[in-house]
Amino acid sequence: MDNLIDMRALLDGVSIFELSLWLSGLLLLLVLIGVRVAFAAAFIGFVGLCAFFMQKQGFDRGLVTAAKLAGQVPHSKATQYSLSLIPTFILIGYLAYYAGLTRHLFEAAKRWIGWTPGGLGVATVFATAGFAAVSGASVATSAVFARIAIPEMLREGYDKRFAAGVVAAGGTLASLIPPSAILVIYAIIVEQSVGKLLLAGFLPGMVSALIYGALVIGLARARPSLGPAVGGFTWRQRFESLPGAMPILLVVFIIVYSIYFGWATPTEAGALGAGVVLIMALRHGMRWRDLKGALMEAAKLTVMIFAMIWGVLIYVRFLGFAKLPDAFAEFITSLEMGPYLVLLMILGAYVILGMFMDAIGMLILTLPITFPAVMALNGGIGGEVGALGMTNEETAIWFGIIVVKMAELCLITPPIGLNCFVVAGVAQDAKMDISVQDVFRGATPFFVADVVTVAVLILFPGIVLWLPGLMG
Amino acid sequence: MTTPSSVLTDGTTLSRTDRALLKVEAALNLASGITIFALVLLAIANVLMRKFLNLPVPGYIDWTEQFMAVFAFLGLAYVQREGGHIRMDLLVGNLKGRVLWLFEFLSVLFMLLVVTALIYGTWFHFMRSFDFGAPNWSTDSSIDISLPLWPSKLAVPVAFAVLWLRLVVQLWAYGRGLRLGGDAIVGVPLPEDPAEQASKEAASVGAIGAGTELAGQTRHGSD
Amino acid sequence: VEWNVSVWGTRRAFTEHVEKLAELVEERSDGDFTMNISYGGLSNNRENLDGISIGAFEMAQFCAGYHQDKNRAITVLELPFLGVENLEQEVAVSHAVYDHPAVADEMAQWNAKMLMTSPMPQYNLVGTGAPRDTIESFDGMRVRATGGLGEMFAAVGAVPTSVTSSEAYNAMEAGVVDSVAFAQHAHLSFGTLDIADWWTENLNPGTVNCPIVVNIDAYESLSDENREILEAAVDDSIEYYLENYAELLRDWDATLEEKGVEKVRVSPEEIAELRSQAQPIHDAWIAEASANGLPGQELYDLVESTLAEAKSE
Ligand code: NA
Ligand code: NA
Repeated sequence: MDNLIDMRALLDGVSIFELSLWLSGLLLLLVLIGVRVAFAAAFIGFVGLCAFFMQKQGFDRGLVTAAKLAGQVPHSKATQYSLSLIPTFILIGYLAYYAGLTRHLFEAAKRWIGWTPGGLGVATVFATAGFAAVSGASVATSAVFARIAIPEMLREGYDKRFAAGVVAAGGTLASLIPPSAILVIYAIIVEQSVGKLLLAGFLPGMVSALIYGALVIGLARARPSLGPAVGGFTWRQRFESLPGAMPILLVVFIIVYSIYFGWATPTEAGALGAGVVLIMALRHGMRWRDLKGALMEAAKLTVMIFAMIWGVLIYVRFLGFAKLPDAFAEFITSLEMGPYLVLLMILGAYVILGMFMDAIGMLILTLPITFPAVMALNGGIGGEVGALGMTNEETAIWFGIIVVKMAELCLITPPIGLNCFVVAGVAQDAKMDISVQDVFRGATPFFVADVVTVAVLILFPGIVLWLPGLMG
Repeated sequence: MTTPSSVLTDGTTLSRTDRALLKVEAALNLASGITIFALVLLAIANVLMRKFLNLPVPGYIDWTEQFMAVFAFLGLAYVQREGGHIRMDLLVGNLKGRVLWLFEFLSVLFMLLVVTALIYGTWFHFMRSFDFGAPNWSTDSSIDISLPLWPSKLAVPVAFAVLWLRLVVQLWAYGRGLRLGGDAIVGVPLPEDPAEQASKEAASVGAIGAGTELAGQTRHGSD
Repeated sequence: VEWNVSVWGTRRAFTEHVEKLAELVEERSDGDFTMNISYGGLSNNRENLDGISIGAFEMAQFCAGYHQDKNRAITVLELPFLGVENLEQEVAVSHAVYDHPAVADEMAQWNAKMLMTSPMPQYNLVGTGAPRDTIESFDGMRVRATGGLGEMFAAVGAVPTSVTSSEAYNAMEAGVVDSVAFAQHAHLSFGTLDIADWWTENLNPGTVNCPIVVNIDAYESLSDENREILEAAVDDSIEYYLENYAELLRDWDATLEEKGVEKVRVSPEEIAELRSQAQPIHDAWIAEASANGLPGQELYDLVESTLAEAKSE
């Protein structure tokens, strides 16, 4: 066919690298006008591939090649074994809800620490931290607690933005405290020990929870209108709440035991945990109808997350042809600056990228570039201590925890923050009057808390390295 | 059977088409959920059989990867019908009436374009793994026990095709909204709206499933 | 001309011939013919042939074992216990098979043409616990070995266990598997050597075959001059690869010692017995290939005769 516009002539003036920058801007615009993120990314990726191949092969052949290439990505990227633990962890989250684990946990936290200023907020932080020990997915954790904690906070007269913000931020703890899907993905991308990384996340997760708790107390003190303390529980009532929260310890024990004592690989341990929670849920009176409901919900969330993965990766595939990552790597290694300064710049870039990307997409996109750059910055060869004061293996683990914390940040920063979307989605589902903007506003202070946490982890790498060090 | 969504229904052809398609979509999404469940059972079986019988499931990873194509894609259209694919509603959340339907129409049109390309692309990805003349009709197989890949590759264009139909229904609905105006149109998930619409919807669907129960609990809690 | 080349992972011994090829081609064409090598940016490793087929890039690396049904003919090179002893022999048999018309036909279905091989050393085992150096000791051993190699170990009572290469370290550390079959450089990069107690020096059970292919259209549209430059650079690149790998293998003994890994020798009688166990697998391959319309016996004989010739040199 005769083209009305000669694409080759049109595109010849523009380098594909320039075009990739323009298209990235267009992606942002599409997202802002409300195009579903996964499909906006896939669309821009496809358009970029079209431009690339039309320049090379002409209009007709270029279009066909671009469509065929984009069509490879969904199946190829969604059927990677390492991602198979995402749905199992999501299912644990939903089943734990039916097993009554989450409600009991929140109840216990409320009775023990509800007396603090903003007490239900503090209780939410520590209940999500506890739940993090069975849940490997931040989004699922936020979804579950949005159903339990937000209504209770609203009933006690808490500020709706504050309530939603605590839940959105609390959910991110699930990715540091083991098990964690995103830590496993990091370990797999950079080829490090999954076991060591999971152990490494434990203390930073606790530190992060403490900082969140302190922040909530501080905020509630400064502005009592955010939410009152919930006191008046007797010691008897407090101890009565404990047995209900115990099963979660059993699940934690099973997951940890099976990984560290040779029963299962981390991926399988997630499934084992789901099996145990399923039995608990059945014993707790879950019926077929409930199970079906949980499966429908787990499928919905899984499909949504996988759509983000392949959608973003179509865009990433285009960036690969446009050589954007290469340009970045060259840029970083050409800088002649101190390692910490470069590290801070990389982290700054993560903050900006994180505004627009989802956590997994961001890791998949950036790690192939930033990980080698950071290892090169450290420069320790064969077990020697490098410029960052650690061996390369330690640096790999430490950087993993930092990066995962940064990736968690993007779950609560606008305009694209998966946790905030999910909290708003659940709230809308339950006819609560909370918009996405409300959740983002409420989560803003936690962004500051996360920056503090990252600073602490950079200043005291021992918090990250102590536990995995015990593994030898 | 379904979670309550704010999709309005009435007796129009559009709405009947919407609900007919929903039946297919919900069934596919349930298949997606059951596959996740099967995956969990498979992993448990693999661990227990390896531990106690020294007899792990042969090709466990290969089987898992085939399952993944099913659970990752079959629910695509259902999630779109329920308005579940995440997006930024900063702008659209503040629009009303015809302007809103215009933006929604454009948004779905972008999706339709890329999904059309993806149906073409994923279909040829399947076709490269499929050949009537080849043993097992297979020209692509898994790494360990050589499972033919074409069945799982076929799941992808099928899921995209159902999504394509859903997007056409939504274009139809938004187009109708553009023509007729008004805030309440049928066949598409509506942005946060009065609770009465939900009760209307619940009455018309007439099903109170687990999802409604979940929402009911929270609603009770927030009273 | 600029060619895009799709490989995966990071730059390592396994990709050095591609790097060398790009360097030589650019040098000898005075910069007229360049190659842009991408480590995973253009495709997943298992979709490299698909990418060649649709013309997404001009050159790519893949391994036959990743997807036997895509490349049935060359899987003859991955049969267990063929008796290949070193990389030079591996190059000789691979290139002989690549030159067979049945292979060219099958590759043409992917719009691909064989350029050269990426010779891989034998997939010897590393393992934990007491050394496994007899057939009897393989009984009940959980081993990470895929495809035909896994079949072979299963034939002598071992238990092939499905574990991804990136989970191999964890699986061995946790006791999910007792041993892992990899080439030396993979034992190093996946860390299995760090926790292993032993390595089989002479089991030589088989290996994977990983060709470099070019897109036929791209190849044919090269100028005569550039095509000659490309063809001529192949031998030099392979030679460079062999030198480079030899260096890695020279350090191998020292690495084993440093990591406290014992070198285990399997007795010739045991190996002969294993080979006889592998014969039914070879026969089954020939039968299946013939049933699928491939010259199975011819390809198999070609491997045998080329190997004998290479050994006599
Ligand atoms: Na967790
Ligand atoms: Na964000």
